[in-house]
Amino acid sequence: MPHAREHRVKGLKRISGGSSRETYAFDLEWSEDGETHTRPLIGRRDPTGGLLKSDREREFNVIAAMHRAGLKVPEPLFLELDAGVMDRPFFIMHRAAGQTGMGAFPAAEADSTRAKVADDFLSELARLQSLEYRECGLETLGAPKSLEDPARIQAAHWNEIYERDRLGEHYPILTAAFAWLKSNPVVSDRIVIVHGDYRSGNYLYDENGIIAMLDWEMAHLGDPMEDLGWASMMFWGREEFAGGLMEREAFYKLYEQKTGHRVDRERLFFYQVLGNAKMAVICLTGIRDFVERRTSDAVMPFLELLLPALLEDLANQLRLV
Amino acid sequence: MLRPTLNELISGMQRTIMEALMPELTSPYAQGQAMSAIAMLTHAAAVLESAPAYDAAEVKDLRATFAALKRLDDKHFPKKSGLRSVLARATRAAAKNPPDRNAMEAAMAAFATAVALGHIDESVARHVRGYIRRNLERSRQLLGGSLPTG
Repeated sequence: MPHAREHRVKGLKRISGGSSRETYAFDLEWSEDGETHTRPLIGRRDPTGGLLKSDREREFNVIAAMHRAGLKVPEPLFLELDAGVMDRPFFIMHRAAGQTGMGAFPAAEADSTRAKVADDFLSELARLQSLEYRECGLETLGAPKSLEDPARIQAAHWNEIYERDRLGEHYPILTAAFAWLKSNPVVSDRIVIVHGDYRSGNYLYDENGIIAMLDWEMAHLGDPMEDLGWASMMFWGREEFAGGLMEREAFYKLYEQKTGHRVDRERLFFYQVLGNAKMAVICLTGIRDFVERRTSDAVMPFLELLLPALLEDLANQLRLV
Repeated sequence: MLRPTLNELISGMQRTIMEALMPELTSPYAQGQAMSAIAMLTHAAAVLESAPAYDAAEVKDLRATFAALKRLDDKHFPKKSGLRSVLARATRAAAKNPPDRNAMEAAMAAFATAVALGHIDESVARHVRGYIRRNLERSRQLLGGSLPTG
Protein backbone atom coordinates (compact mmCIF):
# COMPACT_ATOMS: atom_id res chain seq x y z
CA MET A 1 0.00 0.00 0.00
CA PRO A 2 2.53 2.63 -1.13
CA HIS A 3 -0.02 5.46 -1.22
CA ALA A 4 -1.79 4.57 1.99
CA ARG A 5 -1.81 7.21 4.70
CA GLU A 6 -3.15 7.66 8.22
CA HIS A 7 -3.19 4.02 9.31
CA ARG A 8 -5.42 3.43 12.30
CA VAL A 9 -5.86 0.24 14.35
CA LYS A 10 -9.47 -0.16 15.47
CA GLY A 11 -11.18 -2.63 17.78
CA LEU A 12 -8.02 -4.44 18.87
CA LYS A 13 -8.90 -7.44 21.04
CA ARG A 14 -7.14 -10.59 22.05
CA ILE A 15 -8.97 -13.74 21.07
CA SER A 16 -8.79 -17.37 22.18
CA GLY A 17 -7.56 -20.10 19.90
CA GLY A 18 -4.29 -20.75 18.17
CA SER A 19 -2.76 -21.55 21.55
CA SER A 20 0.78 -21.63 20.18
CA ARG A 21 0.65 -17.85 19.58
CA GLU A 22 -1.01 -14.83 21.12
CA THR A 23 -3.77 -14.00 18.65
CA TYR A 24 -5.31 -10.55 18.19
CA ALA A 25 -8.20 -9.43 15.98
CA PHE A 26 -8.42 -5.85 14.76
CA ASP A 27 -9.45 -3.69 11.84
CA LEU A 28 -6.92 -1.60 9.96
CA GLU A 29 -8.30 1.64 8.61
CA TRP A 30 -6.33 3.83 6.20
CA SER A 31 -6.76 6.62 3.68
CA GLU A 32 -5.77 6.18 0.06
CA ASP A 33 -6.62 8.27 -3.00
CA GLY A 34 -9.04 10.33 -0.96
CA GLU A 35 -10.96 7.31 0.25
CA THR A 36 -11.10 5.51 3.58
CA HIS A 37 -10.46 1.74 3.47
CA THR A 38 -10.89 -0.90 6.16
CA ARG A 39 -9.54 -4.41 6.34
CA PRO A 40 -10.18 -7.06 9.04
CA LEU A 41 -6.86 -8.52 10.24
CA ILE A 42 -5.35 -11.03 12.62
CA GLY A 43 -2.05 -10.52 14.41
CA ARG A 44 -0.18 -13.53 15.74
CA ARG A 45 2.61 -12.77 18.20
CA ASP A 46 5.08 -15.23 19.69
CA PRO A 47 4.04 -16.28 23.18
CA THR A 48 6.18 -16.22 26.30
CA GLY A 49 5.27 -19.90 26.71
CA GLY A 50 2.63 -22.29 25.45
CA LEU A 51 1.93 -25.46 23.60
CA LEU A 52 4.57 -25.40 20.90
CA LYS A 53 7.98 -24.00 20.26
CA SER A 54 7.73 -23.18 16.59
CA ASP A 55 9.29 -20.80 14.12
CA ARG A 56 7.03 -17.92 13.03
CA GLU A 57 8.99 -17.27 9.83
CA ARG A 58 8.52 -20.87 8.83
CA GLU A 59 4.79 -20.67 9.54
CA PHE A 60 4.43 -17.42 7.62
CA ASN A 61 6.32 -18.80 4.62
CA VAL A 62 4.18 -21.93 4.55
CA ILE A 63 0.93 -19.94 4.68
CA ALA A 64 2.27 -17.68 1.92
CA ALA A 65 3.14 -20.72 -0.23
CA MET A 66 -0.29 -22.24 0.37
CA HIS A 67 -1.95 -18.94 -0.52
CA ARG A 68 0.03 -18.75 -3.77
CA ALA A 69 -0.96 -22.33 -4.55
CA GLY A 70 -4.63 -21.45 -4.15
CA LEU A 71 -5.40 -23.38 -0.97
CA LYS A 72 -7.98 -22.03 1.43
CA VAL A 73 -5.79 -20.13 3.89
CA PRO A 74 -5.91 -16.59 5.27
CA GLU A 75 -3.86 -14.24 3.11
CA PRO A 76 -0.56 -13.59 4.91
CA LEU A 77 0.41 -9.93 4.76
CA PHE A 78 3.31 -8.94 6.94
CA LEU A 79 6.03 -10.62 9.01
CA GLU A 80 8.09 -8.79 11.62
CA LEU A 81 11.01 -10.73 13.06
CA ASP A 82 12.49 -7.80 14.96
CA ALA A 83 11.46 -8.36 18.56
CA GLY A 84 12.11 -4.69 19.26
CA VAL A 85 8.95 -3.60 17.46
CA MET A 86 6.36 -5.31 19.68
CA ASP A 87 8.45 -7.15 22.28
CA ARG A 88 8.27 -10.38 20.31
CA PRO A 89 8.13 -11.35 16.60
CA PHE A 90 4.69 -11.31 15.01
CA PHE A 91 2.89 -11.56 11.72
CA ILE A 92 -0.29 -10.12 10.28
CA MET A 93 -2.78 -11.91 8.05
CA HIS A 94 -6.23 -11.36 6.69
CA ARG A 95 -9.06 -12.13 9.12
CA ALA A 96 -11.30 -14.63 7.39
CA ALA A 97 -14.94 -14.91 8.36
CA GLY A 98 -16.48 -18.07 9.75
CA GLN A 99 -16.50 -20.00 12.95
CA THR A 100 -14.40 -22.71 14.48
CA GLY A 101 -14.50 -25.15 17.37
CA MET A 102 -12.01 -26.61 19.81
CA GLY A 103 -11.94 -30.13 18.46
CA ALA A 104 -14.57 -32.43 16.99
CA PHE A 105 -16.94 -30.75 14.57
CA PRO A 106 -19.87 -29.51 16.67
CA ALA A 107 -22.59 -32.14 16.95
CA ALA A 108 -25.27 -29.44 16.93
CA GLU A 109 -24.45 -28.30 13.37
CA ALA A 110 -26.77 -29.13 10.46
CA ASP A 111 -26.01 -32.36 8.57
CA SER A 112 -25.75 -30.39 5.33
CA THR A 113 -23.03 -28.15 6.81
CA ARG A 114 -21.22 -31.18 8.22
CA ALA A 115 -21.26 -32.88 4.80
CA LYS A 116 -19.88 -29.80 3.04
CA VAL A 117 -17.16 -29.28 5.63
CA ALA A 118 -16.19 -32.97 5.47
CA ASP A 119 -15.94 -32.84 1.69
CA ASP A 120 -13.89 -29.62 1.76
CA PHE A 121 -11.69 -31.00 4.53
CA LEU A 122 -10.59 -33.91 2.34
CA SER A 123 -10.50 -31.86 -0.87
CA GLU A 124 -8.09 -29.41 0.74
CA LEU A 125 -5.98 -32.26 2.11
CA ALA A 126 -5.85 -33.82 -1.36
CA ARG A 127 -4.79 -30.48 -2.87
CA LEU A 128 -2.14 -30.01 -0.21
CA GLN A 129 -0.74 -33.48 -0.80
CA SER A 130 -0.72 -32.97 -4.57
CA LEU A 131 1.62 -29.96 -4.31
CA GLU A 132 5.27 -30.35 -5.22
CA TYR A 133 7.15 -28.82 -2.32
CA ARG A 134 10.06 -27.59 -4.46
CA GLU A 135 7.67 -25.74 -6.78
CA CYS A 136 6.17 -24.12 -3.67
CA GLY A 137 9.60 -22.98 -2.52
CA LEU A 138 9.36 -25.11 0.60
CA GLU A 139 12.63 -27.05 0.41
CA THR A 140 13.50 -25.04 3.50
CA LEU A 141 11.17 -27.29 5.50
CA GLY A 142 13.90 -29.92 5.27
CA ALA A 143 13.25 -32.70 2.81
CA PRO A 144 13.68 -36.21 4.20
CA LYS A 145 16.60 -37.95 2.47
CA SER A 146 14.72 -41.20 1.97
CA LEU A 147 11.22 -42.62 2.24
CA GLU A 148 12.27 -44.28 5.50
CA ASP A 149 13.07 -40.91 7.08
CA PRO A 150 9.65 -39.30 7.75
CA ALA A 151 8.51 -41.86 10.34
CA ARG A 152 11.89 -41.97 12.05
CA ILE A 153 12.30 -38.20 12.10
CA GLN A 154 8.85 -37.50 13.53
CA ALA A 155 9.05 -40.26 16.17
CA ALA A 156 12.51 -39.09 17.27
CA HIS A 157 11.43 -35.43 17.29
CA TRP A 158 8.44 -35.98 19.60
CA ASN A 159 10.35 -38.42 21.78
CA GLU A 160 12.97 -35.73 22.31
CA ILE A 161 10.30 -33.22 23.35
CA TYR A 162 8.78 -35.84 25.68
CA GLU A 163 12.14 -36.29 27.39
CA ARG A 164 12.53 -32.51 27.62
CA ASP A 165 9.08 -31.65 28.96
CA ARG A 166 8.02 -34.53 31.21
CA LEU A 167 9.28 -32.68 34.30
CA GLY A 168 11.12 -35.79 35.49
CA GLU A 169 7.89 -37.81 35.65
CA HIS A 170 7.53 -41.24 34.03
CA TYR A 171 4.49 -42.05 31.91
CA PRO A 172 4.83 -45.79 31.27
CA ILE A 173 2.36 -45.82 28.38
CA LEU A 174 4.05 -42.90 26.63
CA THR A 175 7.52 -44.36 27.15
CA ALA A 176 6.27 -47.66 25.69
CA ALA A 177 4.65 -45.82 22.77
CA PHE A 178 7.88 -44.08 21.77
CA ALA A 179 9.79 -47.36 22.04
CA TRP A 180 7.17 -49.00 19.81
CA LEU A 181 7.36 -46.16 17.26
CA LYS A 182 11.15 -46.49 17.15
CA SER A 183 10.92 -50.26 16.65
CA ASN A 184 8.15 -50.20 14.04
CA PRO A 185 8.97 -47.40 11.58
CA VAL A 186 6.96 -47.33 8.38
CA VAL A 187 8.14 -46.41 4.91
CA SER A 188 6.34 -43.66 3.04
CA ASP A 189 5.37 -43.98 -0.62
CA ARG A 190 6.13 -40.31 -1.37
CA ILE A 191 7.12 -37.06 0.28
CA VAL A 192 4.44 -34.39 0.60
CA ILE A 193 3.81 -31.19 2.52
CA VAL A 194 2.34 -32.17 5.89
CA HIS A 195 0.22 -29.61 7.73
CA GLY A 196 1.08 -31.22 11.07
CA ASP A 197 -2.16 -30.28 12.83
CA TYR A 198 -4.77 -31.05 10.17
CA ARG A 199 -7.95 -31.65 12.12
CA SER A 200 -11.37 -30.42 13.08
CA GLY A 201 -10.94 -27.31 15.20
CA ASN A 202 -8.27 -25.90 12.90
CA TYR A 203 -10.47 -24.47 10.18
CA LEU A 204 -12.97 -21.67 9.77
CA TYR A 205 -16.28 -22.73 8.25
CA ASP A 206 -19.81 -21.65 7.53
CA GLU A 207 -22.86 -23.36 6.01
CA ASN A 208 -21.09 -23.50 2.63
CA GLY A 209 -18.07 -25.41 3.89
CA ILE A 210 -14.50 -24.59 4.87
CA ILE A 211 -13.33 -21.00 4.44
CA ALA A 212 -9.73 -21.32 5.63
CA MET A 213 -7.38 -23.91 7.13
CA LEU A 214 -5.50 -22.47 10.10
CA ASP A 215 -2.52 -23.16 12.37
CA TRP A 216 0.28 -24.15 10.02
CA GLU A 217 3.06 -23.87 12.59
CA MET A 218 3.84 -27.60 12.61
CA ALA A 219 4.05 -27.92 8.82
CA HIS A 220 6.90 -30.06 7.50
CA LEU A 221 7.69 -32.53 4.74
CA GLY A 222 6.76 -36.13 5.28
CA ASP A 223 4.35 -39.01 4.78
CA PRO A 224 0.82 -38.24 3.51
CA MET A 225 -0.56 -40.74 6.02
CA GLU A 226 0.60 -38.48 8.85
CA ASP A 227 -2.09 -35.82 8.33
CA LEU A 228 -4.74 -38.45 7.62
CA GLY A 229 -3.79 -40.40 10.75
CA TRP A 230 -3.85 -37.26 12.89
CA ALA A 231 -7.19 -36.08 11.47
CA SER A 232 -8.85 -39.45 12.09
CA MET A 233 -7.55 -40.07 15.61
CA MET A 234 -10.25 -41.10 18.08
CA PHE A 235 -9.24 -38.09 20.18
CA TRP A 236 -10.71 -35.56 17.71
CA GLY A 237 -14.05 -37.29 17.53
CA ARG A 238 -15.11 -40.24 19.58
CA GLU A 239 -17.15 -43.10 18.16
CA GLU A 240 -17.18 -43.77 14.44
CA PHE A 241 -17.01 -40.17 13.21
CA ALA A 242 -13.53 -38.99 12.19
CA GLY A 243 -13.16 -35.45 13.51
CA GLY A 244 -16.90 -35.39 14.15
CA LEU A 245 -17.27 -35.11 10.38
CA MET A 246 -17.87 -38.46 8.78
CA GLU A 247 -17.96 -42.16 9.54
CA ARG A 248 -14.34 -43.31 9.63
CA GLU A 249 -14.43 -45.87 6.83
CA ALA A 250 -16.34 -43.50 4.55
CA PHE A 251 -13.77 -40.84 5.43
CA TYR A 252 -10.92 -43.09 4.25
CA LYS A 253 -12.82 -44.04 1.11
CA LEU A 254 -13.46 -40.38 0.25
CA TYR A 255 -9.77 -39.63 0.88
CA GLU A 256 -8.86 -42.32 -1.65
CA GLN A 257 -11.28 -40.87 -4.18
CA LYS A 258 -10.00 -37.33 -3.70
CA THR A 259 -6.28 -38.17 -3.76
CA GLY A 260 -6.17 -41.18 -6.05
CA HIS A 261 -3.95 -42.87 -3.46
CA ARG A 262 -4.95 -45.79 -1.29
CA VAL A 263 -5.01 -45.55 2.48
CA ASP A 264 -2.14 -47.69 3.74
CA ARG A 265 -3.55 -49.13 6.98
CA GLU A 266 -0.16 -50.02 8.47
CA ARG A 267 1.19 -46.50 7.97
CA LEU A 268 -2.12 -44.97 9.06
CA PHE A 269 -1.94 -46.97 12.32
CA PHE A 270 1.66 -45.88 12.91
CA TYR A 271 0.70 -42.23 12.51
CA GLN A 272 -2.34 -42.60 14.75
CA VAL A 273 -0.08 -44.00 17.48
CA LEU A 274 2.37 -41.17 16.83
CA GLY A 275 -0.53 -38.71 16.87
CA ASN A 276 -1.74 -39.77 20.30
CA ALA A 277 1.81 -39.69 21.66
CA LYS A 278 2.45 -36.30 20.03
CA MET A 279 -0.76 -34.80 21.43
CA ALA A 280 0.09 -36.10 24.91
CA VAL A 281 3.54 -34.51 24.60
CA ILE A 282 2.01 -31.20 23.46
CA CYS A 283 -0.09 -31.30 26.66
CA LEU A 284 3.07 -31.93 28.71
CA THR A 285 4.76 -28.93 27.05
CA GLY A 286 1.86 -26.66 28.01
CA ILE A 287 1.85 -28.02 31.56
CA ARG A 288 5.60 -27.51 31.88
CA ASP A 289 5.39 -23.91 30.65
CA PHE A 290 2.61 -23.22 33.14
CA VAL A 291 4.45 -24.88 36.02
CA GLU A 292 7.69 -23.07 35.16
CA ARG A 293 5.85 -19.75 34.82
CA ARG A 294 6.50 -19.11 31.15
CA THR A 295 2.78 -18.72 30.58
CA SER A 296 -0.13 -17.64 32.75
CA ASP A 297 -2.74 -18.88 30.28
CA ALA A 298 -5.42 -20.38 32.51
CA VAL A 299 -6.18 -23.07 29.91
CA MET A 300 -2.75 -24.73 30.24
CA PRO A 301 -3.31 -26.62 33.52
CA PHE A 302 -6.45 -28.19 32.04
CA LEU A 303 -4.31 -30.01 29.50
CA GLU A 304 -3.77 -32.56 32.26
CA LEU A 305 -7.43 -33.49 31.89
CA LEU A 306 -6.86 -34.52 28.26
CA LEU A 307 -4.16 -37.05 29.14
CA PRO A 308 -6.35 -39.98 30.31
CA ALA A 309 -8.16 -40.23 26.95
CA LEU A 310 -4.89 -40.06 24.99
CA LEU A 311 -3.12 -42.61 27.18
CA GLU A 312 -6.11 -44.91 27.04
CA ASP A 313 -6.13 -44.78 23.24
CA LEU A 314 -2.39 -45.54 23.19
CA ALA A 315 -2.82 -48.43 25.64
CA ASN A 316 -5.52 -49.90 23.41
CA GLN A 317 -3.46 -49.44 20.25
CA LEU A 318 -0.38 -51.08 21.76
CA ARG A 319 -2.35 -53.84 23.52
CA LEU A 320 -1.21 -52.64 26.91
CA VAL A 321 -4.61 -53.33 28.46
CA MET B 1 -9.64 -25.99 62.88
CA LEU B 2 -8.32 -22.96 61.05
CA ARG B 3 -10.99 -20.96 59.27
CA PRO B 4 -11.45 -20.37 56.45
CA THR B 5 -10.59 -23.92 55.44
CA LEU B 6 -8.82 -24.51 52.15
CA ASN B 7 -12.12 -25.36 50.47
CA GLU B 8 -13.74 -22.23 51.87
CA LEU B 9 -10.80 -20.16 50.59
CA ILE B 10 -11.07 -21.65 47.10
CA SER B 11 -14.80 -21.13 47.02
CA GLY B 12 -14.29 -17.53 48.18
CA MET B 13 -11.73 -16.85 45.45
CA GLN B 14 -14.16 -18.18 42.87
CA ARG B 15 -16.86 -15.77 44.13
CA THR B 16 -14.36 -12.89 44.03
CA ILE B 17 -13.55 -13.63 40.40
CA MET B 18 -17.18 -14.14 39.44
CA GLU B 19 -18.80 -11.30 41.36
CA ALA B 20 -16.08 -8.63 41.69
CA LEU B 21 -13.83 -9.13 38.63
CA MET B 22 -16.09 -10.47 35.90
CA PRO B 23 -18.44 -7.45 35.74
CA GLU B 24 -15.37 -5.23 35.19
CA LEU B 25 -13.92 -7.31 32.36
CA THR B 26 -14.97 -6.15 28.91
CA SER B 27 -12.75 -8.27 26.69
CA PRO B 28 -14.08 -11.73 25.77
CA TYR B 29 -10.53 -13.08 26.09
CA ALA B 30 -10.18 -11.78 29.66
CA GLN B 31 -13.65 -13.11 30.52
CA GLY B 32 -12.64 -16.53 29.14
CA GLN B 33 -9.46 -16.51 31.21
CA ALA B 34 -11.45 -15.61 34.32
CA MET B 35 -13.89 -18.44 33.69
CA SER B 36 -10.95 -20.81 33.19
CA ALA B 37 -9.47 -19.62 36.49
CA ILE B 38 -12.77 -20.40 38.24
CA ALA B 39 -12.83 -23.85 36.66
CA MET B 40 -9.18 -24.36 37.62
CA LEU B 41 -10.03 -23.64 41.25
CA THR B 42 -12.89 -26.16 41.10
CA HIS B 43 -10.43 -28.70 39.70
CA ALA B 44 -7.87 -27.80 42.38
CA ALA B 45 -10.43 -28.36 45.14
CA ALA B 46 -11.36 -31.77 43.70
CA VAL B 47 -7.72 -32.78 43.29
CA LEU B 48 -6.83 -31.64 46.81
CA GLU B 49 -9.53 -33.93 48.11
CA SER B 50 -8.87 -36.92 45.87
CA ALA B 51 -5.13 -36.79 45.21
CA PRO B 52 -3.94 -38.33 48.51
CA ALA B 53 -6.13 -41.41 47.98
CA TYR B 54 -5.08 -41.56 44.32
CA ASP B 55 -1.38 -41.37 45.21
CA ALA B 56 -1.74 -43.99 47.95
CA ALA B 57 -3.59 -46.35 45.59
CA GLU B 58 -0.92 -45.87 42.90
CA VAL B 59 1.93 -46.72 45.25
CA LYS B 60 0.07 -49.69 46.70
CA ASP B 61 -0.74 -51.05 43.24
CA LEU B 62 2.81 -50.58 41.92
CA ARG B 63 4.20 -52.31 44.98
CA ALA B 64 1.73 -55.20 44.67
CA THR B 65 2.41 -55.58 40.94
CA PHE B 66 6.17 -55.74 41.42
CA ALA B 67 5.71 -58.21 44.29
CA ALA B 68 3.61 -60.41 41.99
CA LEU B 69 6.27 -60.18 39.25
CA LYS B 70 8.99 -61.07 41.73
CA ARG B 71 7.20 -64.32 42.56
CA LEU B 72 7.46 -65.45 38.95
CA ASP B 73 10.15 -67.90 37.95
CA ASP B 74 13.34 -66.50 36.36
CA LYS B 75 12.52 -68.24 33.07
CA HIS B 76 9.87 -65.58 32.40
CA PHE B 77 12.52 -62.84 32.31
CA PRO B 78 14.84 -63.26 29.32
CA LYS B 79 18.37 -62.38 30.39
CA LYS B 80 18.97 -59.88 27.59
CA SER B 81 15.81 -57.96 28.49
CA GLY B 82 17.43 -56.74 31.70
CA LEU B 83 14.04 -56.86 33.40
CA ARG B 84 15.26 -58.84 36.41
CA SER B 85 17.52 -55.97 37.40
CA VAL B 86 14.74 -53.47 36.64
CA LEU B 87 12.53 -55.48 38.98
CA ALA B 88 15.23 -55.48 41.67
CA ARG B 89 15.43 -51.68 41.45
CA ALA B 90 11.64 -51.40 41.64
CA THR B 91 11.58 -53.65 44.70
CA ARG B 92 14.20 -51.51 46.45
CA ALA B 93 12.27 -48.35 45.53
CA ALA B 94 9.07 -49.86 46.93
CA ALA B 95 10.80 -50.80 50.20
CA LYS B 96 11.96 -47.22 50.87
CA ASN B 97 10.19 -45.10 53.42
CA PRO B 98 8.47 -43.26 51.85
CA PRO B 99 8.45 -45.41 48.71
CA ASP B 100 10.27 -43.94 45.70
CA ARG B 101 7.30 -43.69 43.38
CA ASN B 102 9.24 -42.06 40.58
CA ALA B 103 11.67 -45.00 40.47
CA MET B 104 8.77 -47.46 40.56
CA GLU B 105 7.09 -45.69 37.63
CA ALA B 106 10.38 -45.72 35.72
CA ALA B 107 10.50 -49.49 36.25
CA MET B 108 6.89 -49.85 35.15
CA ALA B 109 7.76 -47.88 32.00
CA ALA B 110 10.43 -50.50 31.22
CA PHE B 111 7.91 -53.31 31.70
CA ALA B 112 5.25 -51.55 29.62
CA THR B 113 7.83 -51.10 26.86
CA ALA B 114 8.65 -54.81 26.97
CA VAL B 115 4.94 -55.64 26.65
CA ALA B 116 4.42 -53.22 23.75
CA LEU B 117 7.41 -54.68 21.91
CA GLY B 118 6.36 -58.26 22.63
CA HIS B 119 9.57 -59.00 24.49
CA ILE B 120 8.00 -60.79 27.45
CA ASP B 121 5.65 -63.70 27.82
CA GLU B 122 2.03 -63.59 28.80
CA SER B 123 2.55 -64.51 32.46
CA VAL B 124 4.52 -61.28 32.96
CA ALA B 125 2.46 -59.20 30.54
CA ARG B 126 -0.83 -59.93 32.28
CA HIS B 127 0.44 -58.35 35.53
CA VAL B 128 1.67 -55.28 33.65
CA ARG B 129 -1.59 -54.98 31.71
CA GLY B 130 -3.55 -55.37 34.93
CA TYR B 131 -1.67 -52.48 36.52
CA ILE B 132 -2.08 -50.25 33.44
CA ARG B 133 -5.80 -51.00 33.28
CA ARG B 134 -6.24 -50.08 36.95
CA ASN B 135 -4.00 -47.01 36.58
CA LEU B 136 -6.10 -45.74 33.67
CA GLU B 137 -9.28 -46.32 35.64
CA ARG B 138 -7.92 -44.37 38.60
CA SER B 139 -6.75 -41.53 36.32
CA ARG B 140 -10.17 -41.37 34.69
CA GLN B 141 -11.79 -41.15 38.12
CA LEU B 142 -9.41 -38.39 39.21
CA LEU B 143 -9.23 -36.35 36.01
CA GLY B 144 -12.20 -37.48 33.96
CA GLY B 145 -12.04 -38.42 30.31
CA SER B 146 -12.12 -34.98 28.74
CA LEU B 147 -11.98 -34.49 25.01
CA PRO B 148 -11.63 -31.28 23.02
CA THR B 149 -15.10 -30.74 21.68
CA GLY B 150 -16.40 -27.72 19.86
